[in-house]
Amino acid sequence: MITLNNVSKYYTKDSVGLRDVHLHIDAGEFVSVVGQSGTGKTTLVKLLIAEERPTSGQIIIGSWDVTHIPHRDVPFLRRQIGVIFQDFKLLQKKTVAENVAFALQVAGERPKRIREVVPRVLDIVGLKHKADRYPDQISGGEQQRVVIARSLVHRPKILVADEPTGNLDTINSHEIIEILKKINEFGTTILLVTHNRDIVNQLQKRVVTIHDGHIVSDEEKGSYRL
Amino acid sequence: MITFFRAIKFAFQDMGRNLSLSLMTVFILVLMLLSMNTLLIIRTLTTEATSSIKDQLDISIYFREETTDEQVEEVRKYLETFPEVVELTVKSRDEVLSEFQANYEGNKDVLDALAELDENPLGATIIVKTKDPIDYEKIIASLTVPEYKNIIVDKPFEDSKTAISRIDIITKQVERFTIALSAFFAFIAFLIIFNTIRVSIFTQRVEINIKKLVGATNWFIRSPYVISAFIFNLVSVGIATAIVYYSVGFLDPYTSVIFGSSNILTNYYNSHILMLLGIQFVGVLLLTSTTSWLAMRRHLRV
Repeated sequence: MITLNNVSKYYTKDSVGLRDVHLHIDAGEFVSVVGQSGTGKTTLVKLLIAEERPTSGQIIIGSWDVTHIPHRDVPFLRRQIGVIFQDFKLLQKKTVAENVAFALQVAGERPKRIREVVPRVLDIVGLKHKADRYPDQISGGEQQRVVIARSLVHRPKILVADEPTGNLDTINSHEIIEILKKINEFGTTILLVTHNRDIVNQLQKRVVTIHDGHIVSDEEKGSYRL
Repeated sequence: MITFFRAIKFAFQDMGRNLSLSLMTVFILVLMLLSMNTLLIIRTLTTEATSSIKDQLDISIYFREETTDEQVEEVRKYLETFPEVVELTVKSRDEVLSEFQANYEGNKDVLDALAELDENPLGATIIVKTKDPIDYEKIIASLTVPEYKNIIVDKPFEDSKTAISRIDIITKQVERFTIALSAFFAFIAFLIIFNTIRVSIFTQRVEINIKKLVGATNWFIRSPYVISAFIFNLVSVGIATAIVYYSVGFLDPYTSVIFGSSNILTNYYNSHILMLLGIQFVGVLLLTSTTSWLAMRRHLRV
């Protein structure tokens, strides 16, 4: 599903994002990527959604060779990968429902289908009753659930979550992880980037540890060891 | 087609939800258009002023008293062949005498001296008006030939020549000044518009970034801005035109006192309305769309 072959990313000669990373993730896996701040976790996410290009190596996601993906194809790639960000990245001038609908509108979905899908995904994340609120009128946990709803509308095969609990309290963090686990149970591959020790240890899933741009450990049922 | 209608919907949604920014953009555009229209009014008035002065200029060709009516008619016909000549007025000897007497009605000495003479001492006159005062020189030159030496007594041009050259200098300088002022205003307007739109797009850079990450194409992100720019132009050109029309209606009574002819500005605007609206609309649209295109480019590289 996701393959990184000898991938390196250098921002400048002295600023390294990733070094010689080899990683393979199968369809349906739930993988946690852990590491201290500045070790290259977010670089990995940016490379997967083509926000950055690798300096060397090859990145394959499904049938896409992301390494040299043309700029015009990037939007189509992003519609097939759900992404959840630590800072939510919601459109502040749009309501909850409009934020979720936007992901379908950019793909040219018909209004009828959007009217069907949006309430359904909002129901899944428990926010149907707050569809008309603006992001600044709901809590951080709720905003993150809106982001999850938005990322689910295309029924992505891969969901990349970059520190999704970074701005949330413990209760909300666990709620978000529970939702991610449910999504994974339906067959979606989850790549969770985090430095939340409790969450990683509770998950009992595959853990990839990055340090200084290198993968230093990759365990089937790992735990947070840094 | 769905995407196009969505772009229109988003454009209106964005304008409504960023109302203060939208109003400020329209306000700046209206100010820019008003300043350009003010220059146009100044230019129209100076053109009108110089052409009304030029209209008052003519030259008189004075014939000798012994010149016959046939000879005067021959010269008139000759002058008619010049395409530059727009008006010819022939005054017979009797008409010239009557005018002379009328002019010196209160001057007994002059009238008495005239009465002493048995015959009318004045010759006929032809008054010539040309399209452009510069053409008078050509007319004078054409009459300075041996055939007419014995029938034309005088064709004074030196005073008119000085006046004409002064008017030409003033006209050219006013024209240069208004062109320079227009260029200066246009440059200032360009900077203001450029920065207003840049600020407007800069405040929305996060939103643009999010739209890109959600999978929006550049066109999908840009099109609402282009449509907004189109609507801003439509509204601002409409408002500026309404203000200008009201203002020229207010100014016209004052200009008619100065220039004699009425509704100079209103007539000018009425006869050039389509061209003026077109130029203003296309000019501002090019300015706003180019600026938004440039300002957005760096935020779309995500």
